[in-house]
Amino acid sequence: MSLGEKDGVEALYGLHQAELRRLLLARTGDPAEAEDLLQELWLRVRQRPSGPVANGRAYLFRMAQNMVVDRLRERQRRMARDRRWADHATDFAQPGIEPIDQHDNAEQRMIAREEVATLTSAIANLPDGARRAFELHKLEGLSHAEVATRLGISKSGVEKHMAVAMKYLRRALLDWGKG
Amino acid sequence: MTAQSDIDEGLIEQALHWQTTLESDDADWNGYMVWLEADPRHRDAFDAVALVAATVDEHKDAVRALSEAHVAAEARRPGRRMWLWGSSAAAALALVVGMPMLRAPETAMTYASDAEASRSVSLAGGTAITLSPASRIVVHGKDARRIEMNSGEAYFAVKHDPSRSLTVEVGHYRITDIGTHFSVNISDGGFRVAVSEGAVAVSSDSTEGEVKVTAGHQLMARQGEELALSPVVAAEIGSWRQGRLSYSNAPLSLVAADISRYSGKRIIVDPALEAGHFSGTLVIGDGSRLLADLAAVMDLSVHAEHAGNGDTLRLGRAGGR
Repeated sequence: MSLGEKDGVEALYGLHQAELRRLLLARTGDPAEAEDLLQELWLRVRQRPSGPVANGRAYLFRMAQNMVVDRLRERQRRMARDRRWADHATDFAQPGIEPIDQHDNAEQRMIAREEVATLTSAIANLPDGARRAFELHKLEGLSHAEVATRLGISKSGVEKHMAVAMKYLRRALLDWGKG
Repeated sequence: MTAQSDIDEGLIEQALHWQTTLESDDADWNGYMVWLEADPRHRDAFDAVALVAATVDEHKDAVRALSEAHVAAEARRPGRRMWLWGSSAAAALALVVGMPMLRAPETAMTYASDAEASRSVSLAGGTAITLSPASRIVVHGKDARRIEMNSGEAYFAVKHDPSRSLTVEVGHYRITDIGTHFSVNISDGGFRVAVSEGAVAVSSDSTEGEVKVTAGHQLMARQGEELALSPVVAAEIGSWRQGRLSYSNAPLSLVAADISRYSGKRIIVDPALEAGHFSGTLVIGDGSRLLADLAAVMDLSVHAEHAGNGDTLRLGRAGGR
């Protein structure tokens, strides 16, 4: 499917709205959040500069998927910020009235640095196979098949290594967020 | 998101499989939704995979730079992979912010600064190094007497101590300090050493003897050219640490290479300007104005070129296209 006009994407949205709602619900497990995301998706579709979209359905689905991940990331950062506030609690920093600190670049940089440090440390501590597979795939950009060739293991072996790495890194990021 | 519970690796594997599958255009989105709906734990597994992937993607370059540092250390020290890395993030954080390094015998430690910030490194024996953005050095040995410099620019402040000396290697050149302050800059297929205090000696395998560079002088080594010694204003050496780039009669290609490092953009100097030189001071800021400022001062033009991979800017004569 390829539709060349802005109307086209909006029409696509109409066509797939029910499916998108289903996806967002399955993805979040929360009807209210799914509805909210669907609204946001609609707004983004309308703001999108016009231009041809190849494979419109997959395009919308990916947009929806990305929005869910963006929210997860935002939550992860908020946890880190909350932790920082807890660490540096002062009389005027009451919980609940923390401003959404878009402008506090120093803090954001600090959080980014801590994320980098957490990831790097966690990667370094992975079991050897998982670490190599992860580095080649995620940092060097090799495909699973290329990683398999490079390491002389099967593709499913790569997937197992990646699963170990993901599980471990998730743990590390969670622990970091909680502080 | 059930943040606390551990997730079964089998489920993570399934999630990874779906994540990879969904990248293709004819992905089975229905199958994916059915999988998600089958068990709430599938959602958690997918959350985990997507979130880690997004976090890694966002920090890929920084993580890779640090991981390489680690790999470099590891390669020279087989069997003791963990010496540097505690399990706590604090250990890695110490590396990020450039604390004095752990002292392990016969190790090599890479220090790299990212594209946006300078970085200070303190070494054994009271050597203090400032790395300008996008620079990289490898420090050998626990007493840090041998430093390889790979890229960028670094300012070295070395404590005078007759009992020890420091060697900075650039390619097959060796810069030996005699208790001094100096700056080394690698760019444009060569390097230059500028001395603000004391003196250094520069030697290489391919040249006889050594060249002594004293305070207020710089030595330039460029591919295919003779070593060139010229005077510089000592106070301006390493002025990038205060946010300024100062040059006296520097080839434009060299200035462009510095700006390229600070701005992250590829810069081509028009061949017509090859013989051009620049004297003056540029304010670094966030790096984005440097080229425009240089062009304004020298009455040159900047054109964007779209030659394959990303931004390339061409510095040319004003009015010329």
